[in-house]
Amino acid sequence: MRDFAERLIAYETKGNKSSGTKTAVVFLVGEKLRLHLTALMGNVGFRALFSRALALANAEVPWLHTVHVKADGSLGGLDELGAQVASEKIAEGSVVLFAQLLGLLVAFIGGSLTQRLVREMWPKIPLNDLDFGNGDKNENPK
Amino acid sequence: MKIQNDAGKRQPLKRIASPPAKVTIRKLPTGVRGLDDILGGGVPEFSFNIIAGTPGCGKTTMAHQIVFANATVEKPALFFTVLGEPALKMLRYQQQYSFFDESKLGNAIRFINLADVVMEKDLNAVFDEITKQVAAINPGIVVVDSFRTVVRKTTAGVSEMEMQSFIQRLAQFLTSWEATTFLVGEYDPAEIRDNPVFTIADGLFWLSQKAERNSIVRKLQIVKVRGQNSVPGLHTIRISEGGLQAFSRTLAFVPQNKKPARRQRLSMGIPELDKMMGGGVLEGDSLLVAGPSGTGKTALATQFIAAGLRNGEPGIIAIFEERPKGYTDRADSFGLNLKTPQEKGKLEILYLRPLDLSVDETMQEILDAVERIGAKRLVIDSLVSLEMALAPGFREDFRESLYRMIVALTAAGVTILSTVEVEDTFTGFSFSHYTISFLTDDIIRLRYVEIDGQLRKVMVVIKMRGGNHSKDIREYVITSKGVVVIHPRSTDYDGLTTGIPRQTGPRKAQKVESGPEPKARK
Repeated sequence: MRDFAERLIAYETKGNKSSGTKTAVVFLVGEKLRLHLTALMGNVGFRALFSRALALANAEVPWLHTVHVKADGSLGGLDELGAQVASEKIAEGSVVLFAQLLGLLVAFIGGSLTQRLVREMWPKIPLNDLDFGNGDKNENPK
Repeated sequence: MKIQNDAGKRQPLKRIASPPAKVTIRKLPTGVRGLDDILGGGVPEFSFNIIAGTPGCGKTTMAHQIVFANATVEKPALFFTVLGEPALKMLRYQQQYSFFDESKLGNAIRFINLADVVMEKDLNAVFDEITKQVAAINPGIVVVDSFRTVVRKTTAGVSEMEMQSFIQRLAQFLTSWEATTFLVGEYDPAEIRDNPVFTIADGLFWLSQKAERNSIVRKLQIVKVRGQNSVPGLHTIRISEGGLQAFSRTLAFVPQNKKPARRQRLSMGIPELDKMMGGGVLEGDSLLVAGPSGTGKTALATQFIAAGLRNGEPGIIAIFEERPKGYTDRADSFGLNLKTPQEKGKLEILYLRPLDLSVDETMQEILDAVERIGAKRLVIDSLVSLEMALAPGFREDFRESLYRMIVALTAAGVTILSTVEVEDTFTGFSFSHYTISFLTDDIIRLRYVEIDGQLRKVMVVIKMRGGNHSKDIREYVITSKGVVVIHPRSTDYDGLTTGIPRQTGPRKAQKVESGPEPKARK
C-alpha cells in the first residue's frame, strides 16, 4: 500500500512544484481524495475514514499528532508542521497516512474498486503492477 | 393524388383516415429474475416508482439490480445515497452479488452522496442538488436511497402541501429529463393512504418479510404500476448470490410446446398395468399413484421414467427426502440404468430439500429443469415430502401452487406422475389426505390386503379421465424387475378394498414361500 501512496504523492509533487508550500503539496493527494470521495460517501463519511487513517498513522509517525482532520474533511495544522519537521520526514509521514487511508478503502470495498476509484482521479498513473490484497485487515500492509 | 387502375382510367385515391398511433411505452428490464413477468414486461420507461418495505427485505439490492441492468455510458444511472446505508458499506456488500459489474462504476453508474445537503439544508436545496446533478449527467435511471430519510429530515416544520409540492416538482422534473426514477424507502403499509408520494408514484413495489416459525419468508407485491397489467397478489422473493429473484404466483412458465391435439398413450413400463390403463397413460396427463409406505410407489415411478427414456422422452425426477444416489442405486437393483441418461442430459434428478423453500421456488426449479432438458415426463416423489420441504407459511398455499404447476406443465404436454403416501385403514379407501385428486387426470391406488395369512399388495386404476380402464383389482409383487403385476383379478374374494377380504371361492392349496420377495436386492 505504501508503493501505491508513494506513487500518488510523487505524481502530485512532480506536477505541482511551483504551487504552495512543500508541505501542502505533499498533502495534495489527501485533498484530491477528499473532493472525490466526499461525492461518494459525504463529508461525514470521508471525515470518519480519514480520521481513522490518521489515528492509525499516528502510531507509526508520532509528529502526525500535530495534524488534525477539519470539519470539511481537509487536513489542519499543516502550516505549523512545516516549521517543526523536516520536509523529508513530512513526505515519509504523508506516505504512511495515505497508505493507511487507501488500506482502509481496500479493507471496505476491496482492491479492485479502490483501484477503480483512484484511476478516476489519477488516470495517468500506472497501477496494474500493484498488489492490493483482498481487503483482509489481518494482512500486513505492504 | 390519383392512381391508375387496371382499366387505365384515373380514379381518385381514397383517403383512409387511420387513428393516431398511441404512444408505445418502452419497458425496462429490472435485472431481477421473475420480476419483469410480474410487472407485465418490465418497468415503464420514464416512470416514477417507489421501492418500499421494512428493513432487510432487499430494497437496495433490487434498486442496484435495476441500475446494473440498465446503466450504460451513454445513458448512465445516478444513485443518490442519503442517510441510510453508508456508501462504502453499500459497495462492500453489493459487490458480493453476481450482478455487480464494477466496470460500470464511475462511468455508467455514479454514486452521489446527498447526506450533507439533507442534513444542513431544506427541501429546496435537495431539489436543486438533484436537478443540478441530473442536468449535468443526463441519466436514464435515478435512484434516491433512502428517500424516506430525505423527507423525514427536511420536512420538520414543512406543511403537507409543501411536501406534496416538492414530490410533484421532483417527479415532473425527472420525468421531463427522461429518467426512470426509483425512490427507495422504509415505509409502513399504513402510510399508503396518506403519504403523497404514493399518490404521485406511477409504480409501487412493496417488499415485506415475516417469520413463520423458524423460517423467514420474503414477499413482493406490485401495489400499482400505471399503464400495464401486473400480476396481482403476493409473490415470493429470495435473496441469493444472484441478488433478488421473484417467483410469480402464476409461475410465468411459457411452454415451448403445446399439448398435442391427438395424444398418444405412454407406456408405464409395466405391460400389465398398461393394459389395465387402456394402453398406458395419456400424454399430458397428471397421474397420481397413492399408497402406503412400501407398496412400490417409487419403483413404479422409476419404471415410468425409464420407459420414457427408452422411448427417447427426457425426464425429471423431483425428490425431497432421498438423495439422488440412493434413487439411482435402487433403480440399478431393478435393472434400470438412470446414470447414463443423467450423463447424457436426458434425465435430471432434482434433490430439493431446504426447509424454508417456498412452493413457488420449488415449482420454478422444476419448471426450469423441464425447460432445460425438454422433459416429457416428470415424477414428483412424493407430494408429502414436497410439502415437508416447504416453509410452514407456504404449506397453506401448497394445493393452489401445485395446481398451477400441474396445469402449466400438462398444458405443455408433459406427463406427470406424483406419488403420495396414504395411510391404509381397514375401513376406508382414501386416495390422498390432500384431497388433490381433483388435480389429477388418473389415479392408481396401491394397498395391502390380508390374504391367506399373508400381507399382499394389490393395485387398481381408480380413474382415467381420458378413457376407459380396467376395473380389476390386481395383485402385484415387487421383484428384481420392479413392480410386476401377477395374477388376473381374483373372484374368490370380496372386500379387497377394505384390506381384509372375505373368501368367497374355493380354498386353494397354498404354496410355502421359502424366502422374502426379492425386493431391491443389490
